[in-house]
Amino acid sequence: MRRLSAIPFLLTSPANVLTGVFIVIPAIYVLVLSFSASSYGTAPTFVGLANYATLLSDPYFWRASWNTFIVVNAVVYIELALALGLTVLLMSTRHFRRTIITLLLLPYAVSEVVGVLMVKFMFDPGVGMASRALTSLGLPEIAWTTQPNQALALVILLSVWHHVPFTFLIVYTARLSLPGELYEAARVDGANAWRRFTNVTFPLLLPAVLIALLFRYIFAFRIFVEVWLLTRGGPARQTEVLAVYLYKSAFSYDDFGLAAATAWAMVILSLLIATPYLRLMYKRMFVDAR
Amino acid sequence: MRANRLLKSLGTAGRWVALGGFLAWSIFPLYLVVASSFKPARDIFEVPPRLIFQPTLENYVRLWNDWPVFFDGLINSLIVTLGATLLTVVASALAGWVFSRFSSRFLTLSAFSMIVLRLLPPIVITLPLFPLVNYVGLNDTHLILILLYATFFISLGSWIMKASFDQIPRELEEAGAVDGASFAGILRHISMPLGIPGMIAAGVFVFIFAWNEYLFAFIFTTTAAKTAPVVLSEIMGSATGVDWGVLFAAATIQLVPIVAVLILAQRYLIEGLTSGSVKG
Repeated sequence: MRRLSAIPFLLTSPANVLTGVFIVIPAIYVLVLSFSASSYGTAPTFVGLANYATLLSDPYFWRASWNTFIVVNAVVYIELALALGLTVLLMSTRHFRRTIITLLLLPYAVSEVVGVLMVKFMFDPGVGMASRALTSLGLPEIAWTTQPNQALALVILLSVWHHVPFTFLIVYTARLSLPGELYEAARVDGANAWRRFTNVTFPLLLPAVLIALLFRYIFAFRIFVEVWLLTRGGPARQTEVLAVYLYKSAFSYDDFGLAAATAWAMVILSLLIATPYLRLMYKRMFVDAR
Repeated sequence: MRANRLLKSLGTAGRWVALGGFLAWSIFPLYLVVASSFKPARDIFEVPPRLIFQPTLENYVRLWNDWPVFFDGLINSLIVTLGATLLTVVASALAGWVFSRFSSRFLTLSAFSMIVLRLLPPIVITLPLFPLVNYVGLNDTHLILILLYATFFISLGSWIMKASFDQIPRELEEAGAVDGASFAGILRHISMPLGIPGMIAAGVFVFIFAWNEYLFAFIFTTTAAKTAPVVLSEIMGSATGVDWGVLFAAATIQLVPIVAVLILAQRYLIEGLTSGSVKG
């Protein structure tokens, strides 16, 4: 295989060129931009850390960070709880399993735009189905057009709806691969369903659960479309998440420097979230590889 | 004993109720979109929603007359989706095969950096790309979306392909070499055909993503290459007030094909997800 040494390089080049041109170089250029003052169409001038200083002193940035923190954590853990519940339910069901799984997966194929459309329709103030259901139960309807926290609650609801299939599939396929004898043994020992879950299922599923959590953390952190189409970050910029804050800095307020600083803050946070996964992969690929 | 039996059947009933709840949560919003698209405007907000109604195509007719741009958007979406899927599958299959068959410091580094880069939020790269794309005239073209979508799925695609080729014994390729087949011949006639299930798995993910993607399409297209989700959002934000019937008709047209793809390719999706994220 020695004489073929050019081939691996050649065959991986489409993949490497694409990631290089569209991710690596832009990401580095964003870093440069973050140390400059620039707007669309003007040449950047070096300003040192001024953009980062502006960013950290901007209350809207902190609001966006806090919103992102709340939304991401809520989404990720609600999804996990639902996915675990579904897995346990499905394991104890013998009938129609394949059909049920198919139906549970459907939200995965739905675009975020259609998702927002459904939420806007069902929670339309006064006339939406969910709004009327809430009022008929004597509850206040969700005032997502005026109350930032309630708007974010709808964002969480929609995001959970979209992504439960992903978390569920990872947890469920991991559960399928657990040996049945373990449960026989637990049953013989007299463990009830709850004990079987906490003492057998959950610890064994933990690796898959951690992977699902990590991936969902990383992807939930990007959240943009739901917020953008539902509220545009309003009222009064109170529902912005980091991606919306970045977008507005660049394309509404024409401050590319500030947006670039936000971008690098997001890059660093993403990598921090991903550190456990990256360390695992690094170890597997570089250290364990023979 | 009887109490025990009662408790057990209660448990079974409870499980089915819970499962029914999950299914309703998953499907009901979709049913609502599709059913409402066939309802006359005055019935759309009826509570509780009428299950049996006289279906009408008037919303679709209005969509056709008022929003011809939506149908252009569908064509753009189709072009971009097929292009991105093709590019992702080809680039990932080649890279995945190499990752499976060769090992070197360079390749490990390349595979690892792809994982790292996949983790960066896509919005980050729109900043420098936006002026650049305008400068080179790629703004509002199908090509820029195809390239961007493929870029963000090559990492997952290569991992799925590596896992897929890892399952295929090297002996098959070595036998081809013994029979005097050229390197390109082995790749074309032996390795790649065996990798087709993996390619479908890699393709499904980018296909669904590209069909539904909003952010890049919103930033990088204006008229000529505008995709269906972007047009859909414009109908939703229309200044003349929301015409829900038209909106549901458009949403149904955008939604139904991709849901069909998901159902047909479900097996590949599940395989790809487990090999792409858990193992890789």
